[in-house]
Amino acid sequence: MDELLSEFVAETQESLEALSNGVVALEADPSNRELLGELFRFFHTVKGSCGFLNLPRFERLSHAAEDVLSEIRAGDIVPDSATITAVLSVMDRIAELCGAIETGDPLPHEDDQQLIETLKHCFRNGAGAVSMETDVESVVPALTAANLDGLIDVESDAAATLQQAEDRGKFSGTSRTIRLPLTLIDQLMNGVSDMVLARNELARKLRGGNVDPELETAFERLSGCIADMRETISKTRMQRVDRLFMAIPRMVRDLSRDLGKNIELVLEGGDVEMDREMVEMVVDPLTHIVRNSIDHGIETAEQRRAAGKPIPGTLRVSAHQSGSQIVIEVMDDGRGINVDAVVAKVIAAGIMTAQDIAQLNEQQKLDLIFTPGLSTAQEITAISGRGVGMDIVRANIERIGGVISLANEPGQGLTITMRVPLTLTIIPGLILKAGGLNFAIPRTAVIEILHDNNPTVSIARLGGGLTATIRNVRYSMIDLEDVVGLPKLEQIGARSLIIVRSATGKPYILGVAQVENHEELVIRPAAPMVMAAGIYAGMTLPDNGHPMLLLDAGGIAQTAQLPLITETVEVGSGDTTQDDGPQSYTGLRFVELSGEERIIRLSLVERVEDVPLESFGVTAGRPHVSVGGRLISCVRAVSREDVPPGSREVTCLRVRDDARELCYPIAAVLDIGEVPNELDMSACHGVVAGIVLVDGQQIEVVDGHALMASAAQGDMPVRASARCLISDADDSWNREILGPLLSQIGYEVIWGDDDVERQPGDIVLMTSANASQPVIGEGEAVLRLRSFSQPSGPDDTSIYRYDRDALLQAISSLEQRMGVA
Amino acid sequence: MSGLYLFARIAGTGIAIPTDNVEAVIRLGELSPVPGSPPHIAGLSALRSRVLTIIDAAQLICAVDTAECPSSSDERHAVVCEVSGHSYGILVDGVQDIRTIEGSPMPVCGRIEEAWRPFAKAVIEYDGEPRFVLSTADLLDSCLSVPTV
Repeated sequence: MDELLSEFVAETQESLEALSNGVVALEADPSNRELLGELFRFFHTVKGSCGFLNLPRFERLSHAAEDVLSEIRAGDIVPDSATITAVLSVMDRIAELCGAIETGDPLPHEDDQQLIETLKHCFRNGAGAVSMETDVESVVPALTAANLDGLIDVESDAAATLQQAEDRGKFSGTSRTIRLPLTLIDQLMNGVSDMVLARNELARKLRGGNVDPELETAFERLSGCIADMRETISKTRMQRVDRLFMAIPRMVRDLSRDLGKNIELVLEGGDVEMDREMVEMVVDPLTHIVRNSIDHGIETAEQRRAAGKPIPGTLRVSAHQSGSQIVIEVMDDGRGINVDAVVAKVIAAGIMTAQDIAQLNEQQKLDLIFTPGLSTAQEITAISGRGVGMDIVRANIERIGGVISLANEPGQGLTITMRVPLTLTIIPGLILKAGGLNFAIPRTAVIEILHDNNPTVSIARLGGGLTATIRNVRYSMIDLEDVVGLPKLEQIGARSLIIVRSATGKPYILGVAQVENHEELVIRPAAPMVMAAGIYAGMTLPDNGHPMLLLDAGGIAQTAQLPLITETVEVGSGDTTQDDGPQSYTGLRFVELSGEERIIRLSLVERVEDVPLESFGVTAGRPHVSVGGRLISCVRAVSREDVPPGSREVTCLRVRDDARELCYPIAAVLDIGEVPNELDMSACHGVVAGIVLVDGQQIEVVDGHALMASAAQGDMPVRASARCLISDADDSWNREILGPLLSQIGYEVIWGDDDVERQPGDIVLMTSANASQPVIGEGEAVLRLRSFSQPSGPDDTSIYRYDRDALLQAISSLEQRMGVA
Repeated sequence: MSGLYLFARIAGTGIAIPTDNVEAVIRLGELSPVPGSPPHIAGLSALRSRVLTIIDAAQLICAVDTAECPSSSDERHAVVCEVSGHSYGILVDGVQDIRTIEGSPMPVCGRIEEAWRPFAKAVIEYDGEPRFVLSTADLLDSCLSVPTV
């Protein structure tokens, strides 16, 4: 294919994708001039390029659409729903033609002329009805009435729409982009990995002998550059989730129109970034889930009215980052899943017996929706609400290392949550040792790590099979050496037990010689003959240059044919200890910038990230850090001396409670492990709660309460505060000094003239310049300020204007006196 | 017709590999073993940032370890090639030469050992000595069909 032509196709397809939401948004708000302009520009560009490339069909289509749009623009006409549908179908036809050119298929033979006629016809009719109306306010209701059955109410979240508009602004405006083949980026990535390996080798050689300090400095600099470059290259693989959401508004619009349902779509978190490959993998499952929600979840208007719900159904699709995972949530307020119907279907299909099902809890029954084979039954969709191919959705999500879960409220709605790793290629992993070899396991598969000499663990061997009981829960257990056929080597010290999540969600225990450390791993696919073993998920090349295999947690359980059950041991059979909830929690061990080792509850830590040094600052003694355009309180000030020379970033723990975020700069993360609940020594000091002994080592435990309290200092409670009326708005002292002070404290400042409507509860502030004014009415709270520090006489009740404490106290006492009545 | 061939030995038997599917010949260092895989998977090795899966050709064909073959020296050599996106190294006894051979390969004559039959499709002569012509793709394909132990 001609290079120019292929570029034209790629560009057109990209703009089409970006625009389709614009058209839907335009329907929700037909008066949006900006969106109209965008559409017009698109058709104009297509028309221009295809004349040049000799594509007459493109030209005719885009010309017709451009004509209509330009009239709409010029005539201040608000397009109706039929016109927009016609414009959409012209866009669809252009997309179709693009697709045909791309694949080299013959162009489809539909009649473009008919489309064009429809477009013109719709426009003339629609425009005829409303073209004389110039007042947009009156047009919109008229339009709604005229197209009651045809008009679909699709509203994006206002913020999302704004965001989109902004992005598109960037796209057409200043941001310059170029198109690159993916293979080139992959090659770059490989090149950088080679560089890292070469650097490591060089580093080893340099460590050997006496090295010239100058050479060492130069090497350090090179090292830094390579690290930066590696990071930049990995960023090129990242893409905003927006791209994943791109197709949703159009799909919701089309489906809800077909089904005659009224659906409000809310999209959130489009600015989260994830690996491009990952986006591709999630598109299909997400589309499927959204389609199901609309088709089976959200009821028709009549049903909703009967159920006492608001007529428009709400579909909320959101994405956010949580640690190294992206959480995508699809929430609807429809009828939810009818669990009984699903159960009935499973029994009818002979997948499980009634007895089996009686043993399941509610959540497990709900999860039956993922049962393979359920999807083949047609009528289930009518009864249960959902179930079409959910097994395939789950398989797809799990294939990329994700997890899918349901939260069902029958009659109230369903929330489907997908958790997928940020990227396919770089994952956090644990390095472990078994039979003298190193292996890696994805961090996401690991629930917990314990030593086998831990008092809460007991291991029993029966008929060759191992069972481990941990805190009264029995698990299947297998030693990794037995799975891979390696000898168990003699070792000093305890072996490690890893509680691993299997593909079915049931955990089991993997015994290994030792868990070495935690590392970010670049994962590559392993050769088919290696994968054939069934226990590996890929391979990785750590910085030491020795390839390492990545274990597949699910595969190991399958290969070893572990029965995956967990059950709680009945407490009381000889075991008299009272179970007061878990005896320990998962803690993150880290090194403070000042050098101490401390432990913090892992559940408090939202994520760990590297923050550039220049983002840290101190204002009025309170350290803060700017992350992602926001200011977050910081536990301590960070200066250049705190980081090792040459480094420009500080590792930070992001800690959060239900309301507030806190940044906790540290030197390094050490480990994640079990920490007993009970402190071995309570020693409250600053953010430290006390000391625990972990493996014989004394480690300070961070006091979560004290930590969050330190961030809360200086926080203003949000309150409905009184209005402060400053009567003399022209006075520059009032405007530049008093006003800002009051609004900073949280009062609403009103610049008063006589025409300002006074409300009860208003506090009126007067400066001495207008002190002569009479008191305005009884019960008015009036505060007079004077410019001199001494009162002018015994009757002078005014307050010196720089006596901050007295001023604030007077206002707050007035506020109380006036009452919030 | 002439072609460029790489001459080496597998379990003592002389072979020739057409060089159009050979990327390089490397000297192997220490291998990372792949436990749980068939014996002909010798291990993994890093070639710059790539990870090679090393196939022991002697194991695969004659079920003997390359290291125990009479013609092997202290240095182990692997023939690097790429098949469907994965990089492999085929462990051979000793690489002798790379040379252009004039003339087409000849059909196999004589009753050859069972083990060689699936691989030896033709013969060419190198310094008067006949050599089996092997293709790397055939070797790797057979790796997949050999059942896992």
